[in-house]
Amino acid sequence: MNPTLSELEAQAGAPRAAFGGDAHIVCDNLVRIYKTEGVEVVALQGLDLLIDEGELVAVVGASGSGKSTLLNVLSGLDVPTAGVARVAGMDLLSMTAKDRLRYRREVVGFIWQQTTRNLLPYLTARENAELPVRLAGRRGKGRAMELLDLLGVADRAGRRPGELSGGEQQRVAIAVALANSPRLILADEPTGELDSDTSEEVFDALRKANRELGVTVVIVTHDPLVAEQVDRTIGIRDGRTSSETLRREGAEGQVVAEEYAVLDRVGRLQLPRDFMNALNMERRVRLELESDHIGVWPAREEPSGEQ
Amino acid sequence: MRSLVPARVHLGPVVLLAVLTLSACLLVGGLPRALQASFDDALHAALRGAPALQTDLLAQVEPPGAPNSLRDPAQFAAADARLRALLPPALRPLVLPAGQGTSHMSAVTYDTPVHGSSGRSYLNVGWLSDADRRVRWTEGRPPGAPGSMTYERESIPVFEAGVSEDTRDKMGLKVGSTQILGESDYAAVKIVGVYAAVDPADRYWSLHSDVVRVTETHPPGSLEVERHATALISAASLTRLDGDDRNLVYTWTLGLDPGAPTSLGTADVEAAITDYERAVTVEPATAAGRYQLNTRLPELLGRFLAAQNTARTVTILVLGGLLAVAAGVIVLAVRLLSERADTALALARARGASLGRLAAAGAGPVALAAVPAALAGYALSWLVPGPPTPLVHAGPALVLAVALGYAAGRPVVAHRAPLSERRDDVAAARPPLRRITMEALVVVLALAGAYLLRSRSLAGEAGDDPFLLVVPVALTVAAALITIRCYPYPLRLLVRLASRGKAAVPFLGLTRAARARPASVLPVLILLPALAVSVFASVISSGVDTAQRQAAWQAVGAPIKVTSRVELPAGVVERVRAVPGVELVVPAQTGQVQLGYTGERAEAIAVDVAAWRRVLEDSPVGLPALPASGLPALVSPELHGRGTMEIGWHARTKITEAGVVTAVPGFFTRGKFLVTPLRVNARPSVNTLLVKGDADPAAVARAVGQPLAVVTSQAAELAAIRDAPLTGTVRTVLGITTVALAAYALVAVVVMLVIGAADRTRALAFLRPLGLSERQARGLTTLEILPLVLVTALVGLGLGLALPAALGPGIDLSSYAGGVAVQGYAPDLAVPLLLAAGLAVAAGLGAYVHTAAGRGRGSGATALRTGDLT
Repeated sequence: MNPTLSELEAQAGAPRAAFGGDAHIVCDNLVRIYKTEGVEVVALQGLDLLIDEGELVAVVGASGSGKSTLLNVLSGLDVPTAGVARVAGMDLLSMTAKDRLRYRREVVGFIWQQTTRNLLPYLTARENAELPVRLAGRRGKGRAMELLDLLGVADRAGRRPGELSGGEQQRVAIAVALANSPRLILADEPTGELDSDTSEEVFDALRKANRELGVTVVIVTHDPLVAEQVDRTIGIRDGRTSSETLRREGAEGQVVAEEYAVLDRVGRLQLPRDFMNALNMERRVRLELESDHIGVWPAREEPSGEQ
Repeated sequence: MRSLVPARVHLGPVVLLAVLTLSACLLVGGLPRALQASFDDALHAALRGAPALQTDLLAQVEPPGAPNSLRDPAQFAAADARLRALLPPALRPLVLPAGQGTSHMSAVTYDTPVHGSSGRSYLNVGWLSDADRRVRWTEGRPPGAPGSMTYERESIPVFEAGVSEDTRDKMGLKVGSTQILGESDYAAVKIVGVYAAVDPADRYWSLHSDVVRVTETHPPGSLEVERHATALISAASLTRLDGDDRNLVYTWTLGLDPGAPTSLGTADVEAAITDYERAVTVEPATAAGRYQLNTRLPELLGRFLAAQNTARTVTILVLGGLLAVAAGVIVLAVRLLSERADTALALARARGASLGRLAAAGAGPVALAAVPAALAGYALSWLVPGPPTPLVHAGPALVLAVALGYAAGRPVVAHRAPLSERRDDVAAARPPLRRITMEALVVVLALAGAYLLRSRSLAGEAGDDPFLLVVPVALTVAAALITIRCYPYPLRLLVRLASRGKAAVPFLGLTRAARARPASVLPVLILLPALAVSVFASVISSGVDTAQRQAAWQAVGAPIKVTSRVELPAGVVERVRAVPGVELVVPAQTGQVQLGYTGERAEAIAVDVAAWRRVLEDSPVGLPALPASGLPALVSPELHGRGTMEIGWHARTKITEAGVVTAVPGFFTRGKFLVTPLRVNARPSVNTLLVKGDADPAAVARAVGQPLAVVTSQAAELAAIRDAPLTGTVRTVLGITTVALAAYALVAVVVMLVIGAADRTRALAFLRPLGLSERQARGLTTLEILPLVLVTALVGLGLGLALPAALGPGIDLSSYAGGVAVQGYAPDLAVPLLLAAGLAVAAGLGAYVHTAAGRGRGSGATALRTGDLT
């Protein structure tokens, strides 16, 4: 039976759960276009992303896929051109300068790839870790030491960055990022400049922060070592989320990774490029709805006199 | 063409570099010329002001007997030609030809007593080759040929002669009278005419002063006056004028052209005079006599050289500072340009470019900007009037060499090891031992130099001493090095304080200033000397100013002074009092007094000292008060200790010493003098008025109405001192230098900010995500730069104020200040303080504005990528 007009009206007026609901990070159809000297570069082309509070997520993608743009948007340093971006309930598109400052001081912490750029060279490890608290106008001595202790670099508190190893510098950088008790940590290739053993240490530190402090951690990375150890890996391609890999423990304790393609709200789906190449899929495909799946076939060879 | 590309891309720094090079070349090329021109003017003024007797070269011979006497002006002229032929090339252009200026020939007797005058009257006879154009006959006729007469049974020559009006009056030589001369070999002089000098003030008459007026002397121990005069005789009389009979001197005066010598050639002139003296002495004048060369030109030139050397010392010192600062700022600008090419050069080096190629690539764009600018500056400096000194050429060359040398050298040093890990931001590493040793060496050398400088003066007899001239600059550099090394230490105390507080900005800014490697060494090396030298220049300038004022007061002794050779009646005093602007008139009497009953004399002024002190109230000179009772007197140091003495003025009086004064402003500075109350004479005969107030001196002169009265004013005297060629130029040079240094300092601050911009943006890009607000960012930049600038400003200020004291007796500016020694160099702190404060404020404001302007660029996503090398 077709619904009556009044039923439709009631349906439209009824409060509907927003996209993402109460997720910690919500990106809906996010678009970011850079204009440089008349050339437009579309870095994000309608990206959707949902991350829950306390998650440890890796974002992977080829160079130029839009990872860093996403991170800049999430850190409040960049404003998207269109779409929705919300972190911990704060709308990143409509923030004033003051909100933005508060956001940086209270909600988000940041870790760069280059170990040297995470810390001020003329401050000691502890002073570096106290800095965000001081910038916010508070005192943070005890907190800084606690964090350094938690991350295993308490004995290096009085040293300057130049006297620390790369791994130690990155762990201090994590302490700096955590200093203001943020709810989200964004890390841009935090292990990019480190060898595998040190990478492991730094990643462990991040995981510790995630588990013990309950902080949401988003890591942009190329490092398979990192990507394979998080619960969820989000792949970005051409400015869109293209795939997700979920990991869970199997019945026998082994880690089972399942890779999914991402289906957006209007039903768009990105097929992995190698799948398309293998079957020579181009321009259009044939879909067939089965009882429990949708089949995708290459387009049939059309007779030459199609028209 | 490839070097054009970076030049076009970095137009700002290229233009800055061009402007700096042009201005520096113009200044270091033009100022020495202007100085040298003023030295020349001063030399010419000194020569014109000096009597001809001091400047001219006198070749003299005393003919020993009749056979050797010259009888004819033609013989004199022939000898003159021979003497001129001997002139060394250096002297030839300076000497005027015979008949021009003071050049002439003469035959004059000396110490010729008038018979029967008991040695109290002397009348010499003389022939001057240019007498006809020097005197005009006012009575009688010009003398003619000599005759003979019989005196004491001997035939003696009778010279027809003319005397000056003064001689006629003082020695009673009427036209038609005859005087017998000599005590054994007699001659007669018949006065046939009386003449007056065409121009009595001509410096020529210093050569023959008693031709125009009688010279009166007091021989020691005698109360009688001795009178000397010379009477002019005709050329025909030369036939009867012999060296046998009387003291006769032939003189060939080679007149110096006062406008011809240059201050640069004075040393050559001195040497040439010595040569000439040797040549003249061996040239036989007559059969038995030899020439003697008499001149006081070397002394005069020596005195001038000494005055000029002290003047040059100060100006060269200041110019040296200017050159150093200009070179420093240019280096800074070159660095600004070359740092932009660093990445490209590093890549080129990594791809295998030779160091030579790097040097060429570095120097190319700099040369494009600097060479034409330097040439233009050098060319413009030729528009400044004045002779070129070596510095005129060397200065611009040095500026250019510094610019190109640094531009070529910097990439070579920086990229010697390709792709080496260079970390500019890393916290202060320990300075290498070699550098500490070098710095210690500079400091030790500067201190040793300063010690030497204090123990001997800057401008000694040997002239310029390059090592000692470098000392002030070395002192400044040493101070800069010490500042750079030491300023973090006190800052660390502040950091400790700041770390206790919760405010992040002071903590961060001070910590960075205290701990980070002093990236801004070069600006300190520029700012400190710039400030020190400009403070030094302004202190010297104000010192000269004060001394000039003092000299003017010392010369006049009151705002307006009226002196008269005759008594000024009471009515005159009343009339002067009524002149608008006159506040106070103090009458005084000056004269010579006899001390005791001996021939000892002293200059005296009788005046109401209390009133005179009121006249001098606002002036830099003064006199001690006199007690009211009795007849007290202020005496000169030479008369000190005599207690009560008797003086003979109008009447004999006893005065009591009440104090010692080294000088009486406006009247006496040396010898024996005393100041007594006006009542020392029962009826004072007022011949001097001391006037207070800003009345017009011309109005005062009209009110006095006495043609023999002279009105002088302190303002006119001050203007005369200030307008002296040397003084005016030195003040201008000091002024221009101060302004130029201040401008360079400002440019240095701005360039320093621009050079540091990338570093600062990187730091801010890191701090902003941590929660740094815009206000905090501006405060942070200001705080980072301010400690160094403040410390530099303070040290520069201190050094500039201390330099005059440190150089102490090395600098004598009395030649700029009317002969008064310039002392107490720090009377006016306003300008130095203004300079230092201006610098600090400019730096602080610059940092603030710079951060505020960079706000839009630094806050976006680009911030995260700033400095990304990958």
